[in-house]
Amino acid sequence: MGRPRAFDEDEAVRAASGLFAAQGYEGTSVDDLVNGLGVHRGSLYKVFGSKRGLYLAALRRHLDQEVLPTAAALATATDLAGLLTRAVAAYDGGPAAGFLLLAAAERAPADPEVAALVEEGLAALDTAVAAVLGTAAAPPGGPADGLAGILGAAVLGLRLRARAAGTPPPAEAVLGFAGRLAATLPQPPRPA
Amino acid sequence: MARVSVTDGTLVVEVEGIDKLWALKSRLEIPLANVRGATIDPGMAQESRGIKLLGTHMPGLITAGTFRSHGDRVFWDVKNPAGAIVIELADENYTRLILEVADPRATVRLIEEAKRPV
Repeated sequence: MGRPRAFDEDEAVRAASGLFAAQGYEGTSVDDLVNGLGVHRGSLYKVFGSKRGLYLAALRRHLDQEVLPTAAALATATDLAGLLTRAVAAYDGGPAAGFLLLAAAERAPADPEVAALVEEGLAALDTAVAAVLGTAAAPPGGPADGLAGILGAAVLGLRLRARAAGTPPPAEAVLGFAGRLAATLPQPPRPA
Repeated sequence: MARVSVTDGTLVVEVEGIDKLWALKSRLEIPLANVRGATIDPGMAQESRGIKLLGTHMPGLITAGTFRSHGDRVFWDVKNPAGAIVIELADENYTRLILEVADPRATVRLIEEAKRPV
C-alpha cells in the first residue's frame, strides 16, 4: 500500500537507540518501543519488519552519528594521552551512550549482522589509536604489533567499568601506561 | 496455536487442532524471501483487530482468521497472547501473521537463522 508514513523515521530510530542502550535488546519490548517512539504498532512492523530490524537500524545510526565521527576526530589527536583521555570520555557517547558495548555483549554472539556492526565500531577505535601511535603499518611481531587493539580494549574496559559504577571513567592508569609506552616507541612521522 | 517450520526455503505455518475451524484455514506456505522478520510480541493482542474478513473473533478467548486493519490483511491465530509472535511479510496475500506458538523465542530464532545468508 502506498500510504504515507505517519512518523519521522530517523527520529524513531534515534529514540529506539536510546531505549536499546538503556534496556538492551531482550529488555526492550515492542510495547516499550511503541510507547517510547510514539508510533503505531503496524507502522513499526511495516517500516522495520521486526524488532531486530529496528535494532539493526538503531545500531547503524549509533555508529554513523556517534561512534564513527568520534573515532575520526580521535585520530587527529596530537598525542596518545590526549587521544585516550577523549576516547575514554566519549568514544561511544551521545544519546545512545554504551549501545555499542551492550550490543557487543548481548547480541553480537548470537547475531552475525550485529557482530559485524560491533566490529566496525571497534575497528574504527583501533584505527584511530594506530593513527596517533603511528603503528598503522607496524611490522608483525614487532613491539607495536597489536598495540592499538590492546589500548582500544583498555578504553572499552574503562567505559564499561564507568557504566557499571555510574561515575565518569577514570583514565589515570591508562594515561600513565600510555606515557610510558609512548616513550618506548619510535616517534611517528607527523606534520608539524 | 500454530506450528511453524522451515522446509526448503519455505516457511510453513500449520494451524493446529480445532483452531483450523475457527480460522477457516489450516496451512500457509511463504517463501522465506518474502518473510521480513519475526518478533515476540505479547502486546500485539491489545491492538485493534480491524475488520474480520473470514474466521472468528471472540474477545478474550480467540482471534483466528483473516482481518483487515489499516489497509493490511492480517492472519491471526491467537488464544493466549503470552505466546504471540508477529511475522511480517512482503509481496504476499497477507501483510503479517500473528500466531500463538508453543515456544516464541525458539520460533523467532528458527526464522532468523533460516533467513541468514550462508
